[in-house]
Amino acid sequence: MGPEQSGSTKPVGGVGASPAMLDAEDKVTGRTVYLADIEMEGMAHARVLRSPFPHARIVSIDASEARAHPGVVCVLTRDEVLADPEIDPYFGYVMRDAPVLALDKVRHQGDIVAVVVAEDETTAGEALEMVDVEYEELPAVIDAVEAMAEGAPIVHEEMKPIAWDMKPIYGSNIAHHATLMRGDIERGFAESDYIFEDSYSVPPVQHCALELHGVIANYTEDGITVWTNCQSPYPLRKELERMYKRKVRVIVPFVGGGFGSKSRDRIEATTVAAAKLAGRPVRLLLNQEETFQTFIRPALTCTTKTGVKADGTIVARHHKFVSDVGGYGISGPRNANNTLKIATGPYRIPHVLVDCYAVYTNKPPSAPYRGLPTTQHTMAYESQMDRMAKTLGIDPVEMRLKNFLREGDVHVPGDLLRSVHADECLEKVVEAIGYKNRKSGPGADGKLHGKGLSCTIKYTITPPVPTAATQAEVVLRDDGLFEALVGTVNMGQGSDTILAQITAEALGVNLDLIRVTHSDTDVTPEDNGTTASRGTFHSGNAVLDAANKVRTNLAAIGSQLLEVEQSQVQVTSQGVGVSGEPGRNIGFKELVQRHGEPVAEKGACVVGGLYTDETGRQYPITSTFWSFASAAAEVEVSPETGEIRIVKMAAAANLGKAINPRSAKAQLEGGIAMDMGPTLFEKLVWDDSGQLLNTHLMDYPLPSMELVPEYAPILVEHPLEGAPFGAKGIGEVGTVITPAAIVNAVYDATGILFHELPLTPDVVLAALENPPQENPPVRPKATQA
Amino acid sequence: MRRFEYIKPTSVQEAVKFLADHPDEAMVMAGGTALVVMIDQGVLRPDYVVDLGGLSDLQGQDSSNETLHLGALTTVRTLERDPQIKERFGVLAEAASQVASVRIRNVATIGGTVSYGEPQTDIPAALIALNATATVVGTEGSRDVAVEDFFLGPYETVLEPGEIVTRVGVPAPSPRTGGCHMKFTIGSPENKPVANASVVLRLDSSGRCEEARIVMGAVGPIPLLATKAAAILKGEVLNETAFAAAAAKAAEESDPVDDLRGPAWYKRRIIRVLVERGLTWALSRAAAQSQ
Repeated sequence: MGPEQSGSTKPVGGVGASPAMLDAEDKVTGRTVYLADIEMEGMAHARVLRSPFPHARIVSIDASEARAHPGVVCVLTRDEVLADPEIDPYFGYVMRDAPVLALDKVRHQGDIVAVVVAEDETTAGEALEMVDVEYEELPAVIDAVEAMAEGAPIVHEEMKPIAWDMKPIYGSNIAHHATLMRGDIERGFAESDYIFEDSYSVPPVQHCALELHGVIANYTEDGITVWTNCQSPYPLRKELERMYKRKVRVIVPFVGGGFGSKSRDRIEATTVAAAKLAGRPVRLLLNQEETFQTFIRPALTCTTKTGVKADGTIVARHHKFVSDVGGYGISGPRNANNTLKIATGPYRIPHVLVDCYAVYTNKPPSAPYRGLPTTQHTMAYESQMDRMAKTLGIDPVEMRLKNFLREGDVHVPGDLLRSVHADECLEKVVEAIGYKNRKSGPGADGKLHGKGLSCTIKYTITPPVPTAATQAEVVLRDDGLFEALVGTVNMGQGSDTILAQITAEALGVNLDLIRVTHSDTDVTPEDNGTTASRGTFHSGNAVLDAANKVRTNLAAIGSQLLEVEQSQVQVTSQGVGVSGEPGRNIGFKELVQRHGEPVAEKGACVVGGLYTDETGRQYPITSTFWSFASAAAEVEVSPETGEIRIVKMAAAANLGKAINPRSAKAQLEGGIAMDMGPTLFEKLVWDDSGQLLNTHLMDYPLPSMELVPEYAPILVEHPLEGAPFGAKGIGEVGTVITPAAIVNAVYDATGILFHELPLTPDVVLAALENPPQENPPVRPKATQA
Repeated sequence: MRRFEYIKPTSVQEAVKFLADHPDEAMVMAGGTALVVMIDQGVLRPDYVVDLGGLSDLQGQDSSNETLHLGALTTVRTLERDPQIKERFGVLAEAASQVASVRIRNVATIGGTVSYGEPQTDIPAALIALNATATVVGTEGSRDVAVEDFFLGPYETVLEPGEIVTRVGVPAPSPRTGGCHMKFTIGSPENKPVANASVVLRLDSSGRCEEARIVMGAVGPIPLLATKAAAILKGEVLNETAFAAAAAKAAEESDPVDDLRGPAWYKRRIIRVLVERGLTWALSRAAAQSQ
């Protein structure tokens, strides 16, 4: 860490402070420029013609009338795309199966069939209706479990895996099947006193970011420029350069929320093709219905079979899950696969088998949702945990404490766990919610009262070989300010502020001397994407590295200019001075002037690689850091209407170190508020013919402020070695732990354990009046005897 | 959004003439909160939008007489906040306060919400419970229609092409009258309801029920007047047992369908709960009036 800091004072707004977000004032006063605010000379406007059918072969497209419509610039159909030898029309990061627009058939209702470009959006909309498409309808498959059955309609006749770890089952809809094994699962079950087996399912939902998807593309002979609100600009650049064989620049302005729905691109390549045909910049902004058809959180169905000892020790777990990929495997199969190692929870389980199926259906492509499908797994294993505890007569807190992973455990070969403290997270929420003294069941007010817990383990995306996954640059400019150039997309999560705080702390200067430039592939260094709670750790480490180098350079330059030993030089907010001699100081502006050029340094965060165990065997490291968190919920349930009111929620996460405690707490609060929706009422509904019934937010309720309960966000800080000031990510665990805590609180209140979300009041009331029977545990030893 | 021609008439006569001349191509706009969304979604495709906003004949409230006269452009927010309306026509103010969000209530109008004919909205239920009348003007002149008779089916009303609602009249409730409006939503309170109910009870001097009006929204093709449930209460001493019986009967009279806001059986259960709770509140308010 940097040069000697003796005599320097703690910078204002550094690590551990909670300054207001740097972008807050511009946002609340409306000055922030979002994608839809960008106007360009000669910009034309696009609208997309979308398939009315979930599965159909395109027989013919006649766009002649649309092309002749006054104000129409051009119409992009498969004919133009296939006729252009410069375009490779397929993209995707796991399966390369998503076309710029439908080339042979459509694979979900709302699939992209044609693009009309016109002088204005209204004219484009008019011309859409003039495009004549003849379809030959095909049988569709909407449910992922049905899609696995023999004889189900096949969504992709040809599988196109491009990721090294994808294992499709050819001739089926199974895009990826993978297993994770540890120990001997059969022996584990045989040694168990009880075996519990339960199925759970979670329906598809959408992220409902405030800002909808949008793109502006400009195609010139010199290269392509794309403005987008995609969360992963650098992988997008690479993919577009491959597809269009041109140099590409991707610029991501401030983004109004992503939550994973923008983690990958869907309409970017399409807009580039439209811009190429139009010969001028083209803007495409989606509406709410189209956003529902662009990326969704997939439906997930799972069966969890767990063997336990009578004392509550978990011995074996077989977790089989089916995750819906939708019509295109842009990232869905990878998202499912990435949860293999966390699907059985933050517990020491000697015998494990996880079966992952990622399955194509005729629905929109799936995307991660603030924590991959970790949320869905957590709901399964945590509600089963409470059922096991209740059946065995063990306190749910004790049962979790007995089984938790601990510091130094090897969770999966290659993954030595550090900065765990799952127990502390649990104990904190147990105390905050008053779990131990709870009075469960009917109260004097006629309502049913209960409290519930949940705990989770979450990983972050990590490459299989050592990679400088994120880079950054810190520059002292001639105006005397430090500029941090980062790839992290600012989507409201506070990344600019956090990274500026880290930079300020490393340099030893006040926050107001730092400005941040983000996510422009021609200007800011490479980053693998603002996903998987990566920003603080990865960009944080990269700016820390760069800032430390700048500080060393400043000391060296100061040593020359001040004519003292480098060890005598100190960097403060006033500039570079001599330790113990307040009069001898050179301001930063003057320093750059006298030095003759800006002081610039690049930094990197290198992650991934192999872990060698004691026997010499090597394994790829799964995760650069592991997150542990717990939640507790207090609910009241109305036996008259089935309504659930969340009275209070507590959430505790071990985030290593809070760079900005206020911002970190807001992440937990936001996560709770966000996932209350899918827990209680959000659900995208496709009817049997594959038509989406929620086409507007009027038909898709979202949590509003009135529903947000009193909450207690708790930061547990156990710094992680190798992390910037010890900080891990915190962006996603809030959502991940919310549903299970609520489901368990309702279980505590009503005695009914719900296996399916959402818990709408009709579902709750029906169960209260006709309680479902739980599968009784099996006793393997008794059977043998 | 699809293109249309925007027409801004300067008088009611000009407006209804234009509408009568373009029966299939023109749509009326007051606050625009429903119309604009439906045009944006492509559900409605008018060639002309006739904006009634600013027509002075459609504005203003007069509560100086027995009957409250409300210009069709009176906003839902005014219904919610006007002190006179709150005091004398509490059910209407209570219903208004539960419509969508403040942003919507600031621009949505009473004329618009009645003419729209959506079976879920709160205001028509309250107006029926209060025996309100809508004044309808067309090229041939004007007529008064009881709001109770105004709705024919979902989004279908007695309005003929070229007719608009110009005002709504609400007779002052007699003494010893109390009412209540209740709405039940899933998710945010701003959402469209699973069911809603407007209830008005009038007591006689002995405290028995002289008249009950129970109106149920979102549980049928139009806001439904639960006449059999009301008949159970008429002439009776009102208590929990009577309310439970009336609420059960009202639920029988409802006619809900399965949709994204819940299955029909559940809506029936909720309307029973709302009617029972509404009656209990209405009685306590009527009793307070009697003192």
